[in-house]
Amino acid sequence: MEKLSQEEVKHIAHLARIRLTDDEVEKYRVSLAKLFESVDEIHEIKGYNDEILIAPWKEDTTLREDHVEEMLSQEEVLQNAPAKNGKFVEVPVMLSE
Amino acid sequence: MSKYLDLSIDEIHQLYQEKKLTPTMLLDEVYARIDENMDLNCFITLCKEEAYQTAKELEQEEVDGPFWGIPIAIKDNIITKDIRTTCASKILENFIPIYDATVIEKIKSSKMIIVGKTNMDEFAMGSTSETSYFGAPKNPWNKAYITGGSSGGSASSVAARMVPLSLGSDTGGSIRQPASYTGLVGMKPTYGRVSRYGLVAFASSLDQIGPMTRNVYENALLLSVISGRDDRDLTSSSKKVEDYTKLIGSDIHDLKIGIPSYLVSDIVSQEVKDVFENVVTLLKKNGNTVELVDIDYLKQAVPLYQIIAMGEASSNLARFDGVRYGYRTKQEGSVDDLYELTRSEGFGDEVKRRIMVGSSLLSSSKAKLYYNKALSIRDDMEASFLKAFETYDLLIAPTTTTASYPLGQNQEDPLKSFMDDVLVIPANMAGLPALNLPAGLNQDHLPIGIQIIGAPFEEAKIYQLASYLEKELALDLEGGKCSD
Repeated sequence: MEKLSQEEVKHIAHLARIRLTDDEVEKYRVSLAKLFESVDEIHEIKGYNDEILIAPWKEDTTLREDHVEEMLSQEEVLQNAPAKNGKFVEVPVMLSE
Repeated sequence: MSKYLDLSIDEIHQLYQEKKLTPTMLLDEVYARIDENMDLNCFITLCKEEAYQTAKELEQEEVDGPFWGIPIAIKDNIITKDIRTTCASKILENFIPIYDATVIEKIKSSKMIIVGKTNMDEFAMGSTSETSYFGAPKNPWNKAYITGGSSGGSASSVAARMVPLSLGSDTGGSIRQPASYTGLVGMKPTYGRVSRYGLVAFASSLDQIGPMTRNVYENALLLSVISGRDDRDLTSSSKKVEDYTKLIGSDIHDLKIGIPSYLVSDIVSQEVKDVFENVVTLLKKNGNTVELVDIDYLKQAVPLYQIIAMGEASSNLARFDGVRYGYRTKQEGSVDDLYELTRSEGFGDEVKRRIMVGSSLLSSSKAKLYYNKALSIRDDMEASFLKAFETYDLLIAPTTTTASYPLGQNQEDPLKSFMDDVLVIPANMAGLPALNLPAGLNQDHLPIGIQIIGAPFEEAKIYQLASYLEKELALDLEGGKCSD
């Protein structure tokens, strides 16, 4: 089995918004390669139908009545925020001068 | 010594009606058994205070339906208002939900008492519950062995008779496989039968919540409570909820039962084959037709599942960004640093691996090559199952290839957790209802289960066959009770 390159692992980690240490990169070079090798087995399958099954769901989706229901309060919604300032969720500065 | 927890829920109900037992007395026994068996590590959070409060409130009322005052354990990926819900992850270690999942509303309105939130694989990703941030739960039949997963704590808590009932979730076998390893009845209902609102999403097109119980009857009864259309889950079905116990006890003969041939091939161990053969012989002896049937693409079910489950997981878990809820990194930096460091510090290895592979498979041109192709083949697999159900009433197969095995084995192999689920994954792919029924014990006195798979919304028929076999096999499943 081919290992992934360090660059490949770092690229994939970035896609998933995960930052890896050098040790972790080494570890995932092997285990990610094993998973990719496994999923590649589907390339052996030929002659399948073009129809897709997104979810095993056969009923028509219907729109629900449009009326106001009970809603969560602002306090409740902010209750689990790791950092807040008054009525706002706090995040690091996004734009600098 | 258990006084009440060995009784059926109908017997408990009877005692409640005769005023010989109160919910508080039953809770005393529940928490005493949990305390005695803390080493099994079944629970991440106990909600003793809330449970006793509910018990006291119930005691002010008249005894109501069959579930009035019955204790239940809930898998920790089903959100419970004001009760911590972690998904067994550091990233949700301190998360207190602000609303109830639909199934929890139903549990509460039928007057059950939630005693705690059960241990599981982190975000339900794994087959042994060993990926839990809180350490693995243990199998009460042998404490050095795995409970299976991902609903390991839900399985172990019922097997050890701490609670009569639990809820699990099943994305690729996560109810049926641990039920098989711990000697329980576990049902994954038809996709859409039970609302997923409030189930922390892993793979949205595969996830279903279902009951885990000591016997078939109680399983059917609990499914009747949690099923039904929910406007907050557009994939929940409008089909009428049946009384799933209605066929229990009725005679079975002249059934046509199929066995998907790949599911009894060489991938299955001899001890599991022996238990399964015994069931087949029993069914044939009683006038049923049992024969092999070929279902397309079962051999490739694992890679197909990997693509769909990891792809959907990578998208679902994008919400954990350290902004609105959950863990946030303490390190200073930009917004990108915040996302990446939060996720790196908050997720465990298995979750990271799966969302990395999922993100990669869904990126740019790969999405068509992998995800779309998998969905096409999934469509064919479903069609093949549905065709089989034109001939057969039900399908049966082993649930797992082996009995439970020692903790710590194969943890380094990223494929092992998928291979443990090779026999249970197909029902999720096709959205079919499927149930694990304990069917025998191996030489080491560990349970082995069989799976009964039905056509969509044929849960009642599954329970009919399961209850028949349960009665005929008359297994002693008390071995999981552990300390007394």
